[in-house]
Amino acid sequence: MSAKPKIAVYWTGSCGGCDVSFLEVGEAIVEILSRVEVVFWPALVDVKRSDLEAMPPGSIDYALINGVIRTEENREMAEILREKSKYIVAYGACAHLGGVPSLADLWGKEEIFRAVFGEGFRPGPPPGVDGEARLPDLSEKAVPLEEVVRVDYAVPGCPPPAPLISRFFTALFSGEMPDPPYVFANVKALCEECPRERHDDRRIERIVRPHEIVPDPNKCLLEQGLICMGPVTRGGCNALCPVAGMPCTGCLGPTPEAGDPGAAMLSALASLVRFEDEGEEYFAREDEVLERLADPLGTFYMYAFGKFRRRS
Amino acid sequence: MPPRNPERIRAQKPRIGVFVCHCGHNIAGVVDVKRVAEQLSKYPGVVYATDYEYMCSDPGQELLKKAIREHRLNGVVVAACSPSMHEATFRRAAGEVDLNPYLVECANIREHCSWVHDPGEAATQKAITITRTMVEKVKGNMPLEPVEVSHKEKCLVVGGGIAGIQAALDVAEAGYEVILVEKSPTIGGHMAQLSETFPTLDCSQCILTPKMVEVERHPKIRLLVNSEVEEISGFIGNYRVRIRKKPSYVDPDLCNLCGECEKVCPVRVPNEFDRGLSERGAIYIPFPQAVPSTYTLDEETCLGIKPLICGKCAEVCEPGAIDFDMSEEIIEEEVGAVILATGYDLYETKALPEYSPDDPDVIDPLQFERLLSATGPTRGEIRRPSDGKVPKTVVFIKCAGSRDPELHKPYCSAICCMYTAKHALLYKHAVPDGRAIVFYIDIRAPGKGYEEFIHRVMEEDRVLYIRGKVAKVFREGDKLIVWGVDTLSGQRVEVEADLVVLAMAVVPPKGVEDLARTLRLSCLDENGFLKEAHPKLRPLETLAGGIFIAGAAQGPKDIPQAVTQGSGAAAKAIALLSAPTLTHSPEVAEVDEELCSGCRVCAPLCPYGAITVEETAQVNELLCEGCGTCVAACPSGALSLRNLEDSQVESMVEAALAELSPAREAVEVKGG
Repeated sequence: MSAKPKIAVYWTGSCGGCDVSFLEVGEAIVEILSRVEVVFWPALVDVKRSDLEAMPPGSIDYALINGVIRTEENREMAEILREKSKYIVAYGACAHLGGVPSLADLWGKEEIFRAVFGEGFRPGPPPGVDGEARLPDLSEKAVPLEEVVRVDYAVPGCPPPAPLISRFFTALFSGEMPDPPYVFANVKALCEECPRERHDDRRIERIVRPHEIVPDPNKCLLEQGLICMGPVTRGGCNALCPVAGMPCTGCLGPTPEAGDPGAAMLSALASLVRFEDEGEEYFAREDEVLERLADPLGTFYMYAFGKFRRRS
Repeated sequence: MPPRNPERIRAQKPRIGVFVCHCGHNIAGVVDVKRVAEQLSKYPGVVYATDYEYMCSDPGQELLKKAIREHRLNGVVVAACSPSMHEATFRRAAGEVDLNPYLVECANIREHCSWVHDPGEAATQKAITITRTMVEKVKGNMPLEPVEVSHKEKCLVVGGGIAGIQAALDVAEAGYEVILVEKSPTIGGHMAQLSETFPTLDCSQCILTPKMVEVERHPKIRLLVNSEVEEISGFIGNYRVRIRKKPSYVDPDLCNLCGECEKVCPVRVPNEFDRGLSERGAIYIPFPQAVPSTYTLDEETCLGIKPLICGKCAEVCEPGAIDFDMSEEIIEEEVGAVILATGYDLYETKALPEYSPDDPDVIDPLQFERLLSATGPTRGEIRRPSDGKVPKTVVFIKCAGSRDPELHKPYCSAICCMYTAKHALLYKHAVPDGRAIVFYIDIRAPGKGYEEFIHRVMEEDRVLYIRGKVAKVFREGDKLIVWGVDTLSGQRVEVEADLVVLAMAVVPPKGVEDLARTLRLSCLDENGFLKEAHPKLRPLETLAGGIFIAGAAQGPKDIPQAVTQGSGAAAKAIALLSAPTLTHSPEVAEVDEELCSGCRVCAPLCPYGAITVEETAQVNELLCEGCGTCVAACPSGALSLRNLEDSQVESMVEAALAELSPAREAVEVKGG
């Protein structure tokens, strides 16, 4: 291979977990870093926006952007990186689907300010800065990267799990990157790689939350009443959470044909929640079970609300 | 959403023909059919639209065929009646001019529109919408070929009553092998217990036993008594059955019916065949003409089975037919068709405590049949169970447990009016100076010669019919006091009776639920009887292809009806067994294995048991009836219904909503 690929890593509305996630690959990080040229990565190297702006268009090979687009500044940086890069990679659930921060859009911008800072708050200049400077404004909505720039690849996850980070860099180094758009995760749902046993006559007769039970180590979590998003979620993480006894929360995003994960999961649940027989008495019991589903929106759209919210 | 299988998107531009049927006044009297055709002629993709008086008529079909040829149609929508009526007609016609039948759809503007609306603009608008919706569906339809499969040429008949016997004989006579499974030690069913049959009064056993013998002798029939079907799996034409045959401990080939064994047997238990009115040994023969003709040992009551503490019967058995070591057999067979003729039971008299069911002289109708029968415990003399006296007053109470939706069974048991009349008549013939009193709600006698029979019983045999229900039956000394009411005169009635016969409701037999579960048939009606596929047009079929029903298993029936159904089910089975190959609609669910994660949400939902899951789900095309339950439930969009893909449904929804408010943007429908 000729020159090392030039990469940029940037965070927008992000918790920082994605930046740290690279360490998940273990010793391989040394190998990865030795085979790329990091031209821009605020968390790792001392480099400013002005340095980026000075780079010629298309001079970066891959820009990995993590975080939701929440502020004007986020949008500007995404646009600059788009211009400077051959390929944009949405790295992590926020950039890919909106992630947890996009759930903030259940409320308006003003309500968010009021809830966080109380009445009468106005963002002002940061301390010790002259009056002209101001914090970047929150945008009206917290949106996934693809709503502001064209995105070529996604490495999904919250944060991306090691196998998928490896999958991305392996493809990159082999020189056999798939044609964009492409998501570095499975097309099949998580259940494919989950070792838990699923029974032929499966049904859900109660719904519980993770703190309420110690799950059986071998049985499917859904069958035990935990709302596991596995059936609608892309695989690729080796069923990390279900293996550890926690239900999948859907961070790799819905499989391509599942479409809206909430609608898909609701259909599946409506089918699974049932008793040995039918009739009014049983239907009432099914309703009771479904009533126990706490926070359906947060459960079904924990990471994908930004992408799948419906315009009213 | 990108199309699921891009290669399956039709390459040709749609050239769709729309044919709007008047159905005489059925549709044209409500819907402006001319305008429906005119509107559709302007719809994108439609190249020809017309209306015609009766599309299903020969000229109507010719019109369809001519248009397909002349306009090179590659899709057809017939706006007419329900597809369950004439879809097959129009698809066949299209096939005759080389248009793939699965590119033809019916838009139901009769049942779904003209029959349920008043004439006017709104009805016409709705008919246009329905037709457009189907045009959108046809645009996405793919040409398909029916699924073909070979089948086994053998038939399983479950139940050896008269319906099952008739079915088995008819199928065997047509040259196909039959396995007849009966859970008791003999075939014959309830009919073998009856004395004489209404309305002709021929002896039940005399007309039944020749058929029983024929079953035993028939080279094509394999008779398995003491046997129950444990599992049936598979699909139409190819069912695998597992039969558990309990040991009879007597070799039927060696048993010479000498009866010495029963004489020495120390056990005495109530005889089921006589409904407890007599006793039998642990080794016994149900009745002299039992088929197979052999004694049988009841392991539940025998002392000698385990541990071996008796063994007296084996000592006296000269031919050495008794074998205590005989073991249970599991028989596995593959059959093409199954006929369920599982018969009926009587509702327990215990359910009616107001009629003193524990009193020995309050009996059920089959007990009375045994009292009337020449082979019964009293050799046909009518003697009451308590003291053996000839009863001088017998009260018959009809609708005991039937037609009582609040407390018991809501339905009419259908046969009680007739057998009660027969009982009263036979009693009067046997005890001419006796009194027979029948309490009834209504008299239902719709069969051939039935009404005349009732009149004969009332007028010639002077049986007293009292229209009213009985409130209470209780014992006072030697008599049973019956409190009832005569609703015609408004009088309370009190009768001192010697014997009371309760015409108990006919109920499904025990175990039929398990059988239904084994078959994965959602095939029990609200009263627990086996449910037919269609109450009028498919009375002998279940929703599972190749599984038929006959006789009282489907609901109370008299002998002629049970025999008719046995023959009918046999004809259905023969039609299936004699087909060179079986075909099945290709409009079924399919799995995209590239997308399926094997999460198993679908499998337990399938009412037909068509889905199995290994690495990925697999749909058995022959079992699938295309209901779409799995498709709706599939969380990862791996399942789809052929010719009803999500993309088609989306276009159909858009077409349906566009009509209602053309300005509104089409609603986004995705996934799920």
